[in-house]
Amino acid sequence: MGFSRRDFIKSAGFAIGSVAAPVWLNGSAAAMAAEAFAEVKKDDLADTALATAKRLGAGYADIRINRYRTESVSTRERQVLNVSSSQNFGFGVRVLVNGTWGFAASPIISVDEVRRVTSEAVAIAKANSVIQRRKIELVPTPRITATWRSSFEKDPFDVTSNEKVAALLAINESALSIAGITFVNSQVAFVNEQKYLATSDGSRIEQYLIRTNPSFSVTAVNRSTNDFQSVNSLLQAQNIGFEYLTKRDWAADAKTAAEHAVMKLSAKAVEPGKYDLVLHPSHLFLTIHESVGHSTELDRALLWEANYAGTSFLTPDKTGKLKFGSNMVNFVADRTQPQGLATVAFDDEGVPAQEWDLVKEGVFVDWQTTRDLAKLLGRDRSYGCLHADSWGSVPFPRMPNVSLKPAKEDITQNDLISGVDKGILIYGRGSYSIDQQRYNFQFGGQTFWEIKGGKVVGMLKDVAYQSKTTDFWGSLDGLGGKETYEIPGSFNDGKGEPGQSNAVSHGCPPARVRNIYVLNTSAGLSAGQMEDHE
Amino acid sequence: MMMLSEDKAKVLTDKILAMVKADDAAVSVNSSKNSHLRFANNNVLTSGSREGLNASVTVWIGGKRGTASTSDHSDASLQAMVDEAERIARSAPVDREYVPTLGKQIYKPVNSYFEATANLSLTDRARQIGAVISECERNKVIGAGFHSASSQAGATATRNGNFEYYRSTGVGLSVTARTPDGQSSGYFQRSHDDIRRLDTLRIARESVKKALDGRGARAIDPGVYTVILEPQAVADILGGGFSGLFNARNAEEGRSAFSAPGGKTRLGEKMFDEKLMIYSDPWHPELPGQPSAQGGIPAQKLFLVNKGVIETLVYSRFWAKQKDKMPTPGPVNTILESAGPITSVEEMIRTTERGILVSRFWYIRATDARNASSTGLTRDGVWWIENGKVAYPLKNFRFNQSTTTLLGQGNVLAISKPERVGGSEGGNGFLLPHLKVKEFNFTSQSEAV
Repeated sequence: MGFSRRDFIKSAGFAIGSVAAPVWLNGSAAAMAAEAFAEVKKDDLADTALATAKRLGAGYADIRINRYRTESVSTRERQVLNVSSSQNFGFGVRVLVNGTWGFAASPIISVDEVRRVTSEAVAIAKANSVIQRRKIELVPTPRITATWRSSFEKDPFDVTSNEKVAALLAINESALSIAGITFVNSQVAFVNEQKYLATSDGSRIEQYLIRTNPSFSVTAVNRSTNDFQSVNSLLQAQNIGFEYLTKRDWAADAKTAAEHAVMKLSAKAVEPGKYDLVLHPSHLFLTIHESVGHSTELDRALLWEANYAGTSFLTPDKTGKLKFGSNMVNFVADRTQPQGLATVAFDDEGVPAQEWDLVKEGVFVDWQTTRDLAKLLGRDRSYGCLHADSWGSVPFPRMPNVSLKPAKEDITQNDLISGVDKGILIYGRGSYSIDQQRYNFQFGGQTFWEIKGGKVVGMLKDVAYQSKTTDFWGSLDGLGGKETYEIPGSFNDGKGEPGQSNAVSHGCPPARVRNIYVLNTSAGLSAGQMEDHE
Repeated sequence: MMMLSEDKAKVLTDKILAMVKADDAAVSVNSSKNSHLRFANNNVLTSGSREGLNASVTVWIGGKRGTASTSDHSDASLQAMVDEAERIARSAPVDREYVPTLGKQIYKPVNSYFEATANLSLTDRARQIGAVISECERNKVIGAGFHSASSQAGATATRNGNFEYYRSTGVGLSVTARTPDGQSSGYFQRSHDDIRRLDTLRIARESVKKALDGRGARAIDPGVYTVILEPQAVADILGGGFSGLFNARNAEEGRSAFSAPGGKTRLGEKMFDEKLMIYSDPWHPELPGQPSAQGGIPAQKLFLVNKGVIETLVYSRFWAKQKDKMPTPGPVNTILESAGPITSVEEMIRTTERGILVSRFWYIRATDARNASSTGLTRDGVWWIENGKVAYPLKNFRFNQSTTTLLGQGNVLAISKPERVGGSEGGNGFLLPHLKVKEFNFTSQSEAV
């Protein structure tokens, strides 16, 4: 990746030691909103919350005062379905009383309300401390005063909705220019998070983030055969601004997707069996997310998610021992990657963003942690994975960007394909399903290409592969080089109770994995059609 | 913060409508309170309370549409919201799917708000969850769970004179029990509008029992088996967009499992087993639904499937106008019942020579929209049935299965009395029975517990 934390801080406008004048103010509409946010006396509200919590017996407290803005545009064919704009502003107070968490939140921003809500958080903690068996404890973290903004060129909230609509309609027009395309949907969502955090450890941090999430889907329908096939955009959300829509030729992408949707109607159905797979980053990122990102979450391994998202096949005793993949497999957790959706300067309890190894040369070596999880692991610091999706949500462990390192050599996707005799090249995220311990999985894609004798020979359809996490990564024998590395991501990763949504990216090059079972997902799935591949 | 009363909601919607200069508008205001207690490892994890306010407006100016929303009910913020929606509308292209908002409608009330739920006390909740944790400890299992309660009150109104006030409460508990060796896991959840109807100790006991009964699970080959699905498993299958199959527009546009060649649809066809009745009823005493359906149309009882026949395709207000149909007043909940006699789960097991009992599914994702196929896994309790008895627990499976085939003609062997249940991955409006089906397609083993 070649991107050090020092570069990151420099490029992202990090300004330590100053909270008086947020660095993102620039006289624009976005600046006006930021100014409105700045006008709220957040330090005074924080002083009230932290003093009230302390007076009522909290050993630790923090307050998040956050404003979220979103703008969404959705279209189909030659018409706009909706343009909407929303803003959501409020605060949440978290307290630790007698080793029991309490939390309360409100959208009413006033000193009196902060006092009332803080008291409620303490009351909740005290009521539950009666049934608490073991106390929650936190590892220390440095006291920070800072402001920061994410890396973007053009704030989408400074761009008129006309420009956004026009960008989408151009995508649709391009897709509709291909004969056989009947339907096209496109949408874009822009998110701005303005986050303020104050902790009883003395940290005061403001962060301003921009995310952009464009996507489209084209559908070809054959009414005479009652068949239809869709292809979705391969690119995903990123932590960048409106320039994502203007610097990339989305219309060309849509045209290609449209051509592929039409081709899919008459594409050859895959024969179930074992194949070598070459997986493009637009597909591979989701396999990484499900099998690596979630399995290395320490809260899952410690059964905190047992009732919902599930646990993990990894356990603390396997740290540094378990063979996770082949020797060329290196996964890093990284909250500093430019354009990574989980990139921040500090997490939601003030821990600085970091980069660390999860899997090194094929061996599972480390976890994702927060201040309370790190304590349980006997560590003296957190890796900074605490996140809340709203001022009204309890912050809890969420995934950093988890990325697969590219090969050191200059290897292309075609180099990987040339080493395959019988295989399939897969682009895009499709249907995905994985068990609650992140082991047995099935993934589909958007487009599938048959490889024979080292060359792509035609399109396939109805492809999905089933494998198990360590078998799959253990079968990896080829990676693209730095030039092939991309950083796709997902806007909505669900976890936790109450459910929260997190945005996260997974950088990766194309990869080649050997001898993976592929099934045909179409037809009636009648008795005996599926091959037993156990 | 107080929840919005009907009077207060009316004042707010009137105020917003008075700010609107556009030709047409639909507004909504809402207040909510959500609280939870989450535990794991027989220990409290997080607990919190969240109050929320929302207001939103959609306006049309010369047929051009804009939407804006805010979490702040102050006059200045509401005015800024209306201004923003009108700014968007003025610069937007014409909304070709615009249908004028509704005039005054009459709604038949639904009883889904209970003070006892809205006023849940912190100490009562702690005591109940303490008892659940104690039940787990007594049985030497590791308990995790989630207790949540919500209340909401709000209103929608239109420039053309409609006004609807609606409030509701909900409370639920799910519990997972795991044996300390990590080899067996049980899960049970129930929810209700009225906290007095939620039996938290029963939920804990059912979960613990599944974990204890699931010890010593054996692996058998995947393949096609007769299965008995518990209501939770049925909810998990149907929770993944089953009602979306009935979308008329998708079917008529040729991109649905209910599309037929030549631009036709499967409406009126017996696509499902004739034992099946699938319907929506806002006034069902066990499962009250919202009194209004899409766009504010008063909800009505309607059958999606009547004795196996597709009786309803759902027309949006826009698509109904295009196709000269009436917009569909639902569905607002999902109820599955037997068209004939009901069979108890004990009887289903007793009449099964070889089959599998499934408690729950997990991570179900669509694989092929053309035949409503999906993949997913069993979780938290699978048992082998032999010669009319539950013989032993099984390890989990992955499945690949078409829902229309699952519920298709001849595949549904027996249906029990339905009970209220929520989906594992969302969806809370289900009244579903045990289902015994002839063939279910498991495609691989899963070691996960």
